[in-house]
Amino acid sequence: MLLLDSKTKKKLYDRLVSIVGEEHVTQQETDRVLNAHDCWPLSEAKIRAGELLPLADMIVFPASSEEVSQILIVANDLEIPVIPVGGGAGTCGGTLAIYGGIQLDLKRMVKIFEIDHESMTVKVEAGVMGIDLEEEVNRHGYTMGHTPTSLRASNVGGFIATRSGGSLSSLYGKIEDLTLGLQVVLPNGSIVECKSVPRHSVGPDLRQLFIGSEGVLGIITEATLRLFLIPEERRFRSFSFPDVHSGLEAIRNIFRIEITPSIVRLYDPEDAAMAFSMHFEFEEGHCMLLLGFDGDVAQNDIDENKAVKICSDYGGTDHGEAPAKRWWDHRYNMYYPSRLTTSGFAIGDTIDIVATYDKLENVYHAMKEAMEAHDVVVMSHFSHMYQNGGSIYMIFFSSQPDAETAWATYRKVWDDGVAACLREGGTMSHQHGVGLTRSTYTEDELGSSFQVLKLIKEVLDPKGIMNPGKLGLGVRK
Amino acid sequence: MIFDDSLATQIRMCAACPKMCRHVCPTFFAWRSDAPTPHGRALLIHQEITGSREIDERGIEILYQCLECSHCLTFCIPEIDIATIVELRRKEIVSEGRRPEGLNDMAKAIEKYHNPYSELHESRNDWLELKKSGGKNLLYFTGCTAAYREKEIASDTVELLESLGHEVSISSEEWCCGSPLIRTGDAEFGLELAQHNIEMLNASEAEEIIVTCPGCYRVLTRDYPDYDLKLNKPVKHISQVLEEQIDNLPVDKFEGSITFHDSCHLGRHCDIYDEPRKVIEKVSGAPLVEMERTRDNAMCCGNGAGLRTLFPEKAKKIGAERVRQAKNTGANFLVTSCPFCKNMLKSQSGEDLTVLDLPEMVLMAKRGRKANID
Ligand code: SF4
Ligand code: SF4
Repeated sequence: MLLLDSKTKKKLYDRLVSIVGEEHVTQQETDRVLNAHDCWPLSEAKIRAGELLPLADMIVFPASSEEVSQILIVANDLEIPVIPVGGGAGTCGGTLAIYGGIQLDLKRMVKIFEIDHESMTVKVEAGVMGIDLEEEVNRHGYTMGHTPTSLRASNVGGFIATRSGGSLSSLYGKIEDLTLGLQVVLPNGSIVECKSVPRHSVGPDLRQLFIGSEGVLGIITEATLRLFLIPEERRFRSFSFPDVHSGLEAIRNIFRIEITPSIVRLYDPEDAAMAFSMHFEFEEGHCMLLLGFDGDVAQNDIDENKAVKICSDYGGTDHGEAPAKRWWDHRYNMYYPSRLTTSGFAIGDTIDIVATYDKLENVYHAMKEAMEAHDVVVMSHFSHMYQNGGSIYMIFFSSQPDAETAWATYRKVWDDGVAACLREGGTMSHQHGVGLTRSTYTEDELGSSFQVLKLIKEVLDPKGIMNPGKLGLGVRK
Repeated sequence: MIFDDSLATQIRMCAACPKMCRHVCPTFFAWRSDAPTPHGRALLIHQEITGSREIDERGIEILYQCLECSHCLTFCIPEIDIATIVELRRKEIVSEGRRPEGLNDMAKAIEKYHNPYSELHESRNDWLELKKSGGKNLLYFTGCTAAYREKEIASDTVELLESLGHEVSISSEEWCCGSPLIRTGDAEFGLELAQHNIEMLNASEAEEIIVTCPGCYRVLTRDYPDYDLKLNKPVKHISQVLEEQIDNLPVDKFEGSITFHDSCHLGRHCDIYDEPRKVIEKVSGAPLVEMERTRDNAMCCGNGAGLRTLFPEKAKKIGAERVRQAKNTGANFLVTSCPFCKNMLKSQSGEDLTVLDLPEMVLMAKRGRKANID
């Protein structure tokens, strides 16, 4: 960690105070400790083990884009790292201040501007929590269509910075599909607007440059997001399949005839046993497919009937609505800490890869084998499925006798899991982002296009102050 | 160690939770930082338990920013009770002599005046006019807020109980119930007050003890027994008494709709949700309009567990948010069943929302509303 000398620190502190006021800057160690971490499983496991995490030198809580701009000008001037923090709900350590500096926390920027009913959009500041936004638009008959498990803790800036996806992404899309307009503050302090339009043909889509930029290119301060009418009904259906292959074939063929369920989740035998065997009867060693359909009753009748026929054709056994509905009703529960998942040096994580259908099964088998080689429990589900492919949640769980072995095992599972994914042609993340977990794999993942990212970084952030060490950029020795 | 293995395990789990209840924590709302949050408080204590970091002055402040409202518990699947954990640690802080200054002042006031408002003990409830009727004798334990800050609640309660045929008595020997001390970790002094009050209450010839303050209700029915102090007669909250006699309550039409705020002590801590609602609906002859966050999901008014004493601006910010939630229902009346909540909510309500405590609302119906609006 680079330490700021006390003179620079004092200068920085005074200048930040002059921008946001004393109440909104803190150098207190306790604040820095309590605000240090996001929800990266490795940070969580280290916290439980009593370890201390890297700390920022100070935290600043701006209230407007203008304040963000002024802060960045100061940081750029003094060449001090800036780590943007949203809800602090990311799973990749993206907000850890590994080289110290300023954590710029957006939680005070919570304005929800008036809904544009005509265009079906809403403009919001980056610090608005997902749950608060969803509840607000619900009051007007809309849904954001964006429902990640972290909805209660994550915020709009974080969604966009990590290219987040919710459990209904098959139908509504991911945040990159839902974001029409964007305001970003660049490291030099300029406030950049990307207009809210449905489509355009004016050069490359610059919004997409910042969506998923994880704070390495600038700070997302405002966004205009799409809205959907709350569907008349959400209908559930569940099928078990003898193996992953038949379940995947059913999914692929459902999308092939342009049926777009909102929920599509295929649990492999291990995950199905874990998630459903306590509550439902189905053959041991079988997979479970959950489907959800959002829409009006008549349309859902048509879609559901066609999907049911496809599932039966591929050897599926009908389990009615119960397993899928149960999952939906309890979808947040698995995210809470439990005795089992937190005892000793227990640690688990999810490698949320994505691939096209031609590669998906190979990626699954290759990763499973590579990860299981480290003596960890691996269970998986295919979710966030689309016409051309989809994501796999490769979940692993390890329990080791000491911290050193636990953290080393964790790293090895990641290394070998991602290597297997890349070897088979998959992409290492569908929605969780890169952060620290995947930072060192970024160059391999992006291959020849990594240089584009690097060049853009050099131009926009020549002093390398923005979230150094993340996205494979600015990693210091 | 004040935390046994089971609590230490819970604290450890919570310290690294993916922040699943933070969105309802009023102090997160007020400060917008991860420090004054359920998991933040757990992390402080967890680091102390593991020996990795001590709790410094700022840590103490964060523990004292907790409202002990238990809203986080409603959202916690592993049922980790942060309010209780915080209160246990506060006890140690008090015995270490590290309690925040503002609360030392409050304790001194209670020592001297037997109430936290530094008002003369002699004028606590001597102003209440009581009638002899020969009805069932109820001892009204006024509580400090109704005695000194919300006098109308106290006088309305007496009038109401008398109108229902009871004979109300009060005691000049009533002291603060101890809630403000116990909730902020001064269990020792809390016990002294409890012993004093128990003696007075047990010596009374009344058949029942009635309280209007949910803080008093919780302390008398939960904390006194925890201290092994037994009351020889039942304690009832005014909402329970009124509900028991629901058929004798006055009925009047209220102009506009009514919403209800659950006090944390009455609702989440003592599980009394239905009684005040039944009373309001009976008296107004109309269904309540519920706020979105209601019953065990109700937001705290911001007044609890020392926050108002130590951080009045943040307490008001929370109170104003609760008022906003009430106004969102379109209601004209916000009724609560707690003098302390009423005091905060009224201070933030503005002109377009009338805030009433339950006895006030019932009495308003009895008098015919207009008589009461000056
Ligand atoms: S109280 Fe429960 S839900 Fe809240 S942070 Fe702690 S463990 Fe998580
Ligand atoms: S008891 Fe209330 S104030 Fe305290 S941590 Fe829980 S929700 Fe927050």
